[in-house]
Amino acid sequence: MPGIDRRLIQHFEWPLVGLALALALVGVVNLISAAPGVSDGVPPTAVRQLSWIGLGLVALLVTLLPDYRTLERVAVPVLVVCVVLLAAVLAFGPVVHGSQRWIVMGPVRFQPSELAKLGIVLFLARLLRRHMNPGGIGLAELAVPVLVIGVPIGLTLSEPDLGTALVQGLVAASFLVFARIQIRALAGLGLAGLAAVVGAWSFYLHDYQKERVFTFLDPERDPLGSAYHAIQSQIAIGSGGWLGKGYLRGPQSQLDFLPEQQTDFVFSVLAEEWGFLGGAVVLALYLALFVRGLMIARSSRDLFGTYLAVGVVALLFWPCAINLAMVLGMVPVVGVPLPLLSYGGSSLVTAFAGIGLLANVSMRRYFF
Amino acid sequence: MRLGQVSDVSSEPGLERRIFGATFGVLLVWLLLFVRLFDLQLVQGDAHRDSANRNSVRNHRHLGPRGMILDRWGEVLVDSRPAFDVLVIPHELSGLPGTLDRIAQLTRRDPALVRERVGNPRGRTRFQTIRAVRDLDRDALARVEGQLWALRGVLTQVGPARSYLAQDSAAHLLGSLREVAPEQLESLKSVGYRAGDIVGRSGIEAWLDADLRGQPGGRSVLVDAHGRELELLGAVEPRPGNNVRLTLDGRLQRVAERALDETGRSGAVVALDPQTGEVLVLASRPAPNPNEFALGIPLESWQRLTRDPRKPLQNRALQGQYPPGSTYKVVTALAAIEDGKLVPDLRVHCSGSMRFGRRRYRCWKEEGHGEVDLHRALVESCDVFFYTLGAKLGVDRLAHYARALGLGRKTGIEFLPESAGLVPTADWKQRRFDEPWMGGETLSIAIGQGFNLWTPIQLATSYAAIANGGALLRPFVVQQVEDPQGNVLRSWGTDTLGRVPVSRSSLSTLRAALRGVVHDEHGTGWRMRRLAHGLDAAAKTGTAQVVALSVSEGLDPDEMPEALQDHAWFVTYVPAERPRILVAVLVEHGGSGSAVAAPIARRVVDAFLAGTPSTQGGLHARHRPPAHSAL
Repeated sequence: MPGIDRRLIQHFEWPLVGLALALALVGVVNLISAAPGVSDGVPPTAVRQLSWIGLGLVALLVTLLPDYRTLERVAVPVLVVCVVLLAAVLAFGPVVHGSQRWIVMGPVRFQPSELAKLGIVLFLARLLRRHMNPGGIGLAELAVPVLVIGVPIGLTLSEPDLGTALVQGLVAASFLVFARIQIRALAGLGLAGLAAVVGAWSFYLHDYQKERVFTFLDPERDPLGSAYHAIQSQIAIGSGGWLGKGYLRGPQSQLDFLPEQQTDFVFSVLAEEWGFLGGAVVLALYLALFVRGLMIARSSRDLFGTYLAVGVVALLFWPCAINLAMVLGMVPVVGVPLPLLSYGGSSLVTAFAGIGLLANVSMRRYFF
Repeated sequence: MRLGQVSDVSSEPGLERRIFGATFGVLLVWLLLFVRLFDLQLVQGDAHRDSANRNSVRNHRHLGPRGMILDRWGEVLVDSRPAFDVLVIPHELSGLPGTLDRIAQLTRRDPALVRERVGNPRGRTRFQTIRAVRDLDRDALARVEGQLWALRGVLTQVGPARSYLAQDSAAHLLGSLREVAPEQLESLKSVGYRAGDIVGRSGIEAWLDADLRGQPGGRSVLVDAHGRELELLGAVEPRPGNNVRLTLDGRLQRVAERALDETGRSGAVVALDPQTGEVLVLASRPAPNPNEFALGIPLESWQRLTRDPRKPLQNRALQGQYPPGSTYKVVTALAAIEDGKLVPDLRVHCSGSMRFGRRRYRCWKEEGHGEVDLHRALVESCDVFFYTLGAKLGVDRLAHYARALGLGRKTGIEFLPESAGLVPTADWKQRRFDEPWMGGETLSIAIGQGFNLWTPIQLATSYAAIANGGALLRPFVVQQVEDPQGNVLRSWGTDTLGRVPVSRSSLSTLRAALRGVVHDEHGTGWRMRRLAHGLDAAAKTGTAQVVALSVSEGLDPDEMPEALQDHAWFVTYVPAERPRILVAVLVEHGGSGSAVAAPIARRVVDAFLAGTPSTQGGLHARHRPPAHSAL
């Protein structure tokens, strides 16, 4: 291909991209089973998911081809765009199931809160590699990142999309911990966070948003809601056994009784039908993906690359950990999709874009 | 491929150590997840798996009862009652066709219909419970229950069914239900519907479906091979839907319908509060009985309804379009007064007919009315007087004032399908028939014949505007949506669409004449005299010639003899000053408005007054119950 460095093809990051593709395809196969309905044949959701994987691969190329060091320069504009889009969602976005999360432009719909995760990673990688204090991040150095990152998180929170806001917050926090934050600063951050929450609660959140937070904290408040989901999910997984009930044969999932089985609860369908074997393989694939990502962070020739890689791993790791722990009944139910496996274009394309950044860092180490 | 070491670029202390730390953290979390998965599937999972093989987990979906529809006084018009269904779980059945035939035999249903309902449960449906028979009577239920031990994979379940307590009363308004159609499923799934659920098909059932429908719940139980429940694994209680309270008065509605039925003709009655636009009666006869298809209508009954020449599915109150006859004369009168074509003491001599061009235009009274002024012309419905005004005004001025009264467009009553009627103009005729307007046609228009078409609800809203001093109101029939505890969630109120752009004195001239229609000597509305509490009424009769009906709905040749008879109109409001109720009646091919339609309106008004305390205070106390009070 003209214009593309030969070394890019030579040193293509196959292990990482292969792992991501494998997980995404497992997702499609699983969707065929998870799609409720009576008719046989491939459900439209699976077809759509396949086309999003195609779109994800395009996103992967877009984030892979330019040298990541040039990305450092666009980090701030990217975050600004994310913030503008998030604000646009609140202003113009349609209300779906009581929250505004989507930007709709003709046939194209996407969730800017997903894109904002990438924006946050790019911005923090740039900021932290430049302003480093040998003694760790102090209180004074905390002001800029907290204030800037607080904007997209706050906007996501007011959609309300507590799950995604939580992931954004955890990604940012992982960054700070990784970049060595001083204990004093960490305590200060905690206090400021508490103040922000109290302030938002008193002056900013609507009653229905508060109600959602209550339901989040106490699932029993909503009898049809979270607790029920968790029980059903555990029954489905538990009845899977060693080898599962067989593809398309999981009565729990097939009975259309599992909540949100195409999005947040995909893993319980998978574990019911494919058993411990299937579940463990998928867990292992994720683990390999994260470890590979951290190896790339370690091999990077510059600090920006390392931070970028660590950030992307955090961006993939946290939603995976939260979703799986929720599905397995270890934490309360939070609406966080499982990256690469769950049905949904925004989350899938964001994940592939992140994979592209990791591959970018990995492959450019041969260019020095 | 091996990855290289951390570069020398990094002056960062302990970077490698930190990356190892992160890796360790990831490994630790994943170890926990592995352990938990192992525990769920292989340690605790044994119990689940054994029971799933020898026994099975059944998930029952329980529909929450749909909300009630109440009239303005809280009388229940539509309720949910418990109904027993027979369900099958295909993958537990020992033999599908045999079992279905046995079910059909026990329930005395057509085996072909039962098989059609269940369909061919391949693939995923094998695990779903399917309703094989809906709404068993007690005997059939007893027979099925007695045989359940022998019917593996068959169970009975109680669920809500819809009950229209007043049978076919207000059927068009209340609407009906249907099973979710496959093509609807995609869009309805997101709000919690599943295949086989019941959803509103028409009327309020459809419009307020989201409010009325209950929240489904479910039970997950472990059952043994014989279908005995061993353990409750989880349950969610279904929740009832919200209730809808109408402005309708159920008792008046039934009085109006009975009166219409007794004429043996099709027709419609609309009654509303002319001050607020609240609809008290919205009747159209004949009407289908929604109880007969409360759970989805069998094809053959549906065809019987759609092919019935009396068109029971048509809501005549809103969709029926008829020439207004003499009820139109208020438009002609208003146009003449406002356009200055009527000097106050204009008198016309009626000899029983009038020459215009080469034709003779006849008054309904062959011997003529003699000298008439506007008041007497309205009271006695003299045609010649209005021919004279029509000739002076021209069709387009008449159309202008007809539109000002809200005619020729939909009244905007909420959600129900409605016709716009027709207000002809010269321009319209040119476009529609490519023919110029003829002067003589204006004369027909001026007395409400010709191309004019009104719906009964338009008659009601236009006269309400005259009665209330010029406010054109949007009629409304739903008062509020209440949760099961009675808290009001949403409410509707008076919506003034605009003011009729005429002077107050013109309207009061009209009102005086309409009062005269009832109380003056020779008045055509004499049937409204001597009301309870000594109240005065105002009214207008109308008789629409069907033979001139040439524009819209073609006549069914089969019913020509009856079809040649005139449509009977009557509109009245009581009391004549600051009225509280307005009733508009149409009887298709009923003959004279005064003879056929007026008695129906009288019965509605009498029933209304009978439910009213005699004091004036009572007449003006408004709105919601408590039981004993007010209008």
